[in-house]
Amino acid sequence: MRDAFAAALTEAAARDERLCLVLADLGVGVFDDFERLAPERIFNAGIAEQAMVGVAAGLAQAGRRAVAYSIAPFIASRAHDQVRVDVAAGAANVTLVGVGGGVAYGYLGLTHHAIEDLATMRAMPNMTVLAPCDPADARGATLAALSLDGPVYLRLGKNGEPPLLAPGTSFRIGRATRVRHGRDLTLASTGPILASAIGAAELLARDGIDAAVLHLGTVKPLDTDAIDEALADTGMILTVEEHSVIGGLGGAIAEHAAQTGAGRVVRAGFPDRFVHEVGGRDHILARHGLDAAGVAARALSALGVEPPRSSPVGAGGLR
Amino acid sequence: MRPAGSEQQAFEIRRLSLELALGAGTCHIGSSLGIADVLAVLFFEVMPVDPDLPGAPLRDTFILSKAHAGSALLSALALRGTIDRAQLEREYCRDGGAFGGHAERGTPGVEISGGSLGHGLPIAVGRAIADRLDSRHRRTYCLMGDGETDEGSVWEAAAMAGRLGLDRLVAIVDANGHQGLDRKLADDHWERLASRFEATSWEVTEIDGHDHAALRHALRGGEGRPRCVLAHTVKGKGLPFMEGRFDSHYRSLRPHDRERALTALEQARVAA
Repeated sequence: MRDAFAAALTEAAARDERLCLVLADLGVGVFDDFERLAPERIFNAGIAEQAMVGVAAGLAQAGRRAVAYSIAPFIASRAHDQVRVDVAAGAANVTLVGVGGGVAYGYLGLTHHAIEDLATMRAMPNMTVLAPCDPADARGATLAALSLDGPVYLRLGKNGEPPLLAPGTSFRIGRATRVRHGRDLTLASTGPILASAIGAAELLARDGIDAAVLHLGTVKPLDTDAIDEALADTGMILTVEEHSVIGGLGGAIAEHAAQTGAGRVVRAGFPDRFVHEVGGRDHILARHGLDAAGVAARALSALGVEPPRSSPVGAGGLR
Repeated sequence: MRPAGSEQQAFEIRRLSLELALGAGTCHIGSSLGIADVLAVLFFEVMPVDPDLPGAPLRDTFILSKAHAGSALLSALALRGTIDRAQLEREYCRDGGAFGGHAERGTPGVEISGGSLGHGLPIAVGRAIADRLDSRHRRTYCLMGDGETDEGSVWEAAAMAGRLGLDRLVAIVDANGHQGLDRKLADDHWERLASRFEATSWEVTEIDGHDHAALRHALRGGEGRPRCVLAHTVKGKGLPFMEGRFDSHYRSLRPHDRERALTALEQARVAA
């Protein structure tokens, strides 16, 4: 996803001479093409994330469009006040790119995990929050962000994510993508963890459960039409996210459903604890029931279905 | 039995750090090798810990702010007997293990959850203030990277420490001259860095960060003011094919590199 983002960014920079890139000493090799294209529009603030975001806001105030890039927590947490006051309140044309959203930087530990970023970014007025799921989606989200007026938080995984959406799927801000039709419940996810939702739907199908899958590449503004439709069609949404259960996609959908009173929302995500578990992303996700088997088990328990003994879910899913 | 001298311990820290990186396939090798001498002098000579009680709590406070060099700290703690070496070798950066790539608070001898730069010095200032309040005569050491001094929080804390005259606070800057996107340093870079500390009422000592006698002297000294030890180091020190190389931050070694790497480390020691 990172390379897809960088390629799209360079394309946009070739078309839009206002576009500048501000770094905080991260991204070795990632922006070589941008560097070749427009070395005068790339700036390294040093290991100084607050300055990076402030500088991006200043460039935007002067009529530029600026992209600030770092590991997700160093954008969303470290530079939070600059994001809030200078970027969000200023409605600046700044795209804040957080790489390694969720627990993509597994072994590097909690300082490198971002499991509260969707909540804090979503709570900011003016902020659009995007979390694409695969490289093509990341490309679409990048181009969409860079043609939008106003601030965007773009949450990426790392690199090497498999393609998940059908080729040619277009990215539209505020529009969810239906990945799979189903009758019994809807698995709604955001970001690369869509892979777990798709895998869970396949496991559930073996148990005779027909799960729909919805990808929300935009967390804010929420595609409330898609949510309403999913609740009308299936009665229940199980949200699946690489994020705390507080305030992210699950929070957003639950808030909306509470207002309309339509259907039930169950949230799968990280509980209200820091992830101290040492491990790679896959290990951490599995330990928190966020792999395909864990999500399927969660769906069965939400539906009140006892997993059949023969089921792969029943064999190892419930923890 | 007293532990071996600091030179020998520095080699052991390097060897164990390298073993950990080889075992888990992790990066940041150059960062860990570069600070091995500083850690050896601190943990085996300067910080008052009873050598006959290797598991005893460390009396002085040591904060590793450049926590990407965490494998060196964990190695020093294992050699000191504060944590279990066999467990460290088994579980470093393994799924479900006890030790991640950035050491976390909760592991004995690890004071902060590191990995986000610019956090160590403010915490060290807080610890030093608490010691002063409680009349504890111990030192607080904070080791950070030179690139880390880009962070504004370093200077916010430095100004406060200078204003309060925290004379038992020692900040060690691991001056290896490299950072993430590797910029060329100005000729007077180090003088300017030193003068920034001096401007906030710190005393600055500039030394070779691999010279144990110089380290002993610099880390023990200082009265009346907080002290900055600007320790010039070579990233990847001790492993010739990584020494002074920018990519020693990012590169990981594979199991088939094992013999070559350990042999190179041994040979470099003999040559030195």
